[in-house]
Amino acid sequence: MKRALYITLNEVRLYLQDKGDLAFSLLLPIVTFALMYGAFGGQTMFEATAVVVNEDGGNYATLFVEQLDEIEGIDVELQTAEEADARLERSDLLLALYIPAGFSEQLASGGKAEFIFKQRGNGGQEGQILASIIRSVAEEMNQEFQVREQVKSSLEGTGIPEDRIDFTVQKLLGEEREQPAVGVVEEVVGGSPDFISQYLPGIITMYVLFALTIGARTIVEERKRGTLERLLTTRLSVGALFFGKFMASVSRGFVQTVILLGLSYAVFRLFTPVSFLESLAFAIVYIAAASALGMIIASVARSEEAASWIGVVFTMFMVMLGGTFFEISEGSILEIISKVSINTYANDALRTIISEGGSLGDTALPLIVMAGVVVVGLAVSRMFFKVVSGGK
Amino acid sequence: MAEEFLVVKDLHKSFNDFKAVNGVTFSIEKGEIFGLLGPNGAGKTTTIRMLSTVLKADSGEITIGGHSVRHEAEAVRSVIGVCPQDLAIYDDLSALENMVFFGRMAGLNGKDAREQAMTNLKLMGLQDRAKGKVSKFSGGMKRRINLAIALMGNPRLLFLDEPTVGIDPQSRNHIYENILGLQKNGMTILYTTHYMEEADRLCKRVAIMDGGQIISMDTPHSLKSQIGSPEQVTLEDVFLKMTGRSLRD
Repeated sequence: MKRALYITLNEVRLYLQDKGDLAFSLLLPIVTFALMYGAFGGQTMFEATAVVVNEDGGNYATLFVEQLDEIEGIDVELQTAEEADARLERSDLLLALYIPAGFSEQLASGGKAEFIFKQRGNGGQEGQILASIIRSVAEEMNQEFQVREQVKSSLEGTGIPEDRIDFTVQKLLGEEREQPAVGVVEEVVGGSPDFISQYLPGIITMYVLFALTIGARTIVEERKRGTLERLLTTRLSVGALFFGKFMASVSRGFVQTVILLGLSYAVFRLFTPVSFLESLAFAIVYIAAASALGMIIASVARSEEAASWIGVVFTMFMVMLGGTFFEISEGSILEIISKVSINTYANDALRTIISEGGSLGDTALPLIVMAGVVVVGLAVSRMFFKVVSGGK
Repeated sequence: MAEEFLVVKDLHKSFNDFKAVNGVTFSIEKGEIFGLLGPNGAGKTTTIRMLSTVLKADSGEITIGGHSVRHEAEAVRSVIGVCPQDLAIYDDLSALENMVFFGRMAGLNGKDAREQAMTNLKLMGLQDRAKGKVSKFSGGMKRRINLAIALMGNPRLLFLDEPTVGIDPQSRNHIYENILGLQKNGMTILYTTHYMEEADRLCKRVAIMDGGQIISMDTPHSLKSQIGSPEQVTLEDVFLKMTGRSLRD
C-alpha cells in the first residue's frame, strides 16, 4: 500500500513538473465551462426579440409597444414595413407584428382596432410563444380600455369631469394589477429541469470520462520511458502499481471536476451548498469508475496513439449511450443497451441531485454500479496487464 | 569452492516459433563479475529479463540467493538491482528525486533512501547535480544515474545490461572503476556488453551466447588460449571466431 502511495505521489510530481500538461489539464475544464456558458448563455428563461412595424405611431400604438417592451425577456425591435417584409421574404424572420395606420384613431373613436401578425408557416416555436405573449398584452390593454369606456358611459350625464373619471379608473386598475383578484402562488418543489440542469451532468461526465481515458497513457508512457520494466524488478507489485496509477488518475480527475462544478455553481447557480457537496461526492465515485476503466485501456494499449484512440472511441460510445445529447426513449432497445454505459447511471444520478432536488441517498443504484465498476475495472486491468502479449 | 549466488539450469524461452533462449545453464559465484557476451539477438537481454523476474521462463530453473525466481519472485526482487540497456529514468525529475523514488520502491524508508541516494550520487560523481533535472544532463551523466538507481537498496546481485553504450571514455572509465569497487565490496554482477575489452578487463568469467545458447564459457584468458596465445589474441578475436562474421541486424 505504501508503494502504491509513492507511485501516486510520483505521478502527481511528474504531472506538476510538466507545465504544458498541467496548464492544459487545468485550462481544459475552464475552456469546457466557457463553451457551455457560450452555448447556454447562462440563461434559463425565454428570451426573444419582437419585430414590430408601427405604421400607426399614435398614442395607443405607442403605449402598446411600451407595455410589450416592459415584459422581461422581450426585446422590441421597431422596423419599417419594407424591412420586415424583406426579412420575412428571405426567412430571416418568421413572425412580425404590424400595427396598422389608424389603430389609435379607431380606438379613440370607440371602434374596434386590429393587429396583424405576418408569419412564415406557424411562425416557429419562438414566434408562437412571442405571439402568445403579444396577445396577452393586447388582451390586458383591451380589458383596461373596455373598463374605462364602460365607466365613462355609465357616468355620462352625472357632471363628473372626464379627467376625474380617467384618474379614478387608472388608480383602480393599478391596484388591481398590484393585488389581482385571482393570484398565482409559486411553490418550488425542487430544481428546475431546464436546459442547463438537464445537460450539465452529461457534459461533466463526458468531459471527465474523456480526460481520464486519455490519461490512460500513463502506463504506456512508463513503458516507453523504460521505467515500467525497471519498476517491475523492484519490490513493487503489479497490483500496487495499478492502484497507485489509479489513485493518481482519481486525484487529477477530482481537481478538474472541482473546477468544472465550482464554476457551474458560481455562474449558473444550479446548486445549493448541500447539493453541490453531494454532486461532488457522487462525482468522486464516478471519477473512480472512469479511472478504473482508464486503467483497463492502459493495460491493453501498446502505444500512446493506441491509448488515445481507444480512449476517444470508448468515451464517445459511453457518452452517446449515456443520453448526453439526446433523450433515450423508455422501453426502446437503445435504453436496454444504454445500461452498459456508466454515463447513463452517472447522468441519472447527477440529474437527480441537480435538477430534481434529490439527495445522495436517492442515487443508491448508480453508486453501487460505480463501485462495482471500480472493483471489476481494477481487477480486469491487472489481469489484462499480465496476460496480454507485451504486458509484463 | 565459492558459494554460488545465481544458478541457472536449462532455461528456455520462446516467442511464438522463435526460440530466444534455448537451454541456457550457468552459475555465478558470490562476488564474481560474470560477463554474458553475444551478438545482437543472441538472447542476452531475454535471459536477463527472466533472471530479473520481468519475464516468465517457459521451462528451467533459476535460483538467486537461494530463492526460486518462479516461486519466490518478491524475495528475489529484494536482492537484485537492474541497470537496463536503455535509460530508464524520469527526465522531468531531478537526479535525487529519481534515486529516492526508486529507493522507496526498493523498500527503503525516506531517510535511508535520501542517504543512499546521496552516497550513490557521490559514487557516480554527480553529488553536485543532485537537484538538477535529468533532462538537462549529458548522455554520460544519464548513464551514471541509470547505474546509480540500480544500486538503491544495496542489492546483492546487480544486472548490468550494456551500461556503457554511447558514452565518452571518461564516463566509461568512471563506470568501470565503480563496478570494480562494488565487486570488492562483495557484490555479484552479471554484465553484458558488446565491448570485448570491457569484458576482458572486468569479468572473471564470460559466457558467449549465440542463437539462444551458450556456446562457450570460461575465463577470458582460457578462451583466448583456445585460438592462440592469450597475449596476442583479443577476446574480440575469440568472439568473432565463435559467432562468425556475418551481420546480425
